[in-house]
Amino acid sequence: MDGSAGTASANNSSDFVRKLYKMLEDPSYASVVRWGDEGDSFVVLENEKFTKSILPKHFKHSNFASFVRQLNKYDFHKVRQNNEEGGTSPYGPNAWEFKHPEFKANNKDSLDNIRRKAPAPRKPSAMNEGEIPIQQIDLMNQQLVAQSQQLEQLSQRYAEMAMNQQMVLQEVLRVQKTVLNHEHVIQNVMTFLHSVDAKQRRDSKIMFNTGDTGQTAQLTPTSQSIAVPEDEPASPLQHASKLLNDCNAEVQFNVASMEQLHDLSHKTPGVMSTPPADQHMRNASRAPQSADSSSTLGYARLNNGELDQVVYPMGTNNGIDPMYSEHVNNIPYSLPPKELDPSDPRRQYADGRKKSTFADPGWSRQPRILLVEDDPTCRQIGGKFLYSFCCVIDSALDGLEAVNKIQEGVKYDMILMDIIMPNLDGVSACHLIRQFDRTPIIAMTSNIRSDDIQMYFQHGMDDVLPKPFTRKSLLDMLEKHLSHLKRLPPGMEPPPSATTSSIPQSSTGQSIKDDASSPAQSPAGSMGNWQSPGQYPGVSPIHTNIPNQYAQMANHSPYGTSPHTPITAHIPGRQQQPYQQPQQQPQHRRQISEMSGGVTDMNGFNKRQRVYVQPGPSMGMPGGPQ
Amino acid sequence: MAEENHDESLEFGDNVDMSTFEQILDMDDDEDDKEFSKGIVFGFLEQAEQTFDKMEASLASKDLQELSALGHFLKGSSATLGFVKVKDQCERIQHFGAKKDETGTGNIQDEEYCLRMISEALAEAKKTFNEVAAQMRQYYAES
Repeated sequence: MDGSAGTASANNSSDFVRKLYKMLEDPSYASVVRWGDEGDSFVVLENEKFTKSILPKHFKHSNFASFVRQLNKYDFHKVRQNNEEGGTSPYGPNAWEFKHPEFKANNKDSLDNIRRKAPAPRKPSAMNEGEIPIQQIDLMNQQLVAQSQQLEQLSQRYAEMAMNQQMVLQEVLRVQKTVLNHEHVIQNVMTFLHSVDAKQRRDSKIMFNTGDTGQTAQLTPTSQSIAVPEDEPASPLQHASKLLNDCNAEVQFNVASMEQLHDLSHKTPGVMSTPPADQHMRNASRAPQSADSSSTLGYARLNNGELDQVVYPMGTNNGIDPMYSEHVNNIPYSLPPKELDPSDPRRQYADGRKKSTFADPGWSRQPRILLVEDDPTCRQIGGKFLYSFCCVIDSALDGLEAVNKIQEGVKYDMILMDIIMPNLDGVSACHLIRQFDRTPIIAMTSNIRSDDIQMYFQHGMDDVLPKPFTRKSLLDMLEKHLSHLKRLPPGMEPPPSATTSSIPQSSTGQSIKDDASSPAQSPAGSMGNWQSPGQYPGVSPIHTNIPNQYAQMANHSPYGTSPHTPITAHIPGRQQQPYQQPQQQPQHRRQISEMSGGVTDMNGFNKRQRVYVQPGPSMGMPGGPQ
Repeated sequence: MAEENHDESLEFGDNVDMSTFEQILDMDDDEDDKEFSKGIVFGFLEQAEQTFDKMEASLASKDLQELSALGHFLKGSSATLGFVKVKDQCERIQHFGAKKDETGTGNIQDEEYCLRMISEALAEAKKTFNEVAAQMRQYYAES
């Protein structure tokens, strides 16, 4: 046997085949395994011995089945022993004969021609090909589902917004109309007032009690004192006040829906809402401490408040006493701006700094936020901001940690997720989390090209917070996605606020605070809920303050006993005549009138208000009893 | 540039975007010790120096990918603090490391060019960083 003959070429042949050949060259195995008689096959005569003693030596295993399998891979075939019926193998019934056309005794060179069968490798790969598509299809399916969900959400949101917008438009139109009417009316009233006022004041403080005056006058101390006959003869004033009432009734409605819309819009786009919210928060946080909290607070509402005031003047006239021309100053329109300016800067700068640290946006419970961020700077700042919004913060340093936390069953209200992180990026983490959890996930990243963003959404992210984020943008996000954690559903809010606005110059509180400074006010401030603008809480405080006010007034006037007077207030004004004096002090006039407005609220006012209040209690009917 | 830092009127020139930085200051519970912001800022200074070292090493080994990652990393924290000039250079490093042009859109084939640009940006980043660092140290030392 020229064993050496083909060594060179043997290198090309397979290890397995060479080992096989070498094994067969060993004559000592002849009784167990040997070349076939023809030299073109080999025979395993003694299966057991072969498996136990020879296989281990040459193939490092003792598994006949795998030996056979390997043979098959190289395209060896078992020679059928029973080709002919009854035919038995020439080597015995238990012999295994294998054959390969290129596997021949004495022909080592041809070993090179024995290769692993193509099919063998093919099979596994075929398998892979089969599997991968399935996985991909799964994945694509999931993505499809997710996308269709997102589409659905989007279209829903779109529909909502479209509706909202229409409503807003309608409301705006209506409001425009009413405002126009209003202005007309007021102009009428004012011109009339001007002409009549001077005269009458001079004539006497007794005045004639025009019904309208009564209505309108109530707010002002003067009016109270002066007159309240509600059924007085018609006069230009009465006419005007009727118109006013009509307007009010209409407007109340409109404003209500406006406010709802406003709140709605907060929820959805989450854009407009925040600025006010922020202010509110600041106000709220600061209010308890600052004396002028009431004024600031009052401001917060101004957008609405302005309207409200216009719409729901106290009683009917917003503390404008037709009898006194100076009262023109009390017209609500002009007031807000004045108060705005001072309060605004103050809030911004003085308070802004420190007090902003704690700004409770008004959660019904503290939102739990998971902050996933590898950069310590961003993590600390983000965490601090969240903390200042009264959130409970947990943090994860990368996507992997985040997924683990969610998997462990920790529940969060929102996940803020950096995108580029070690170990596991944010998008992958989101994708994984989405397999079993729907917590809102916000991508926090500076990569905000549209295709990036598209990818984020495709993998189940709910929103994108561009980096570097700001306190405000972060708060916007919270309010947008956690509106369900707000203490009061926005829709419910308007009533109280309106109420407050009905005491138009609760803001006057500023002046009030000085003297009354009162504990009563602080409660107002302490209301963390931004939705309740300071005015809201302000209402009750004012009432409480009233006694103080009266006390003050007492200084200027016979009013000292005042607490009781209110009761009599709507009993037209004979008794009240004496009270007119306070008005001569221009400075206080406003507050006084307002105060008196508040007072009236409490007592006589109630009756009247019920009359038109009913349509929209929510609208902040002054609801004297609060 | 790094001169007068009166407590209220911070003067960091255009190195710092004040609206961003003031947000951080706002988070200080105590105006006087500025514990929170100080911790953040000094943490950043340290982090940035380490990152610059890593960038130098990656530049030496011409590891563009790592450079891009480091640029991105430092970009995030500098942006969050309002250190805009540092941020801008980090962004350049991020883009060139990813073989993109400065805007991050067009592709660049020439790796040597990218490395050159990164080297430039890194030098600029360090320079502007040193300015900010000095300003910050002074600011917190005085306050």
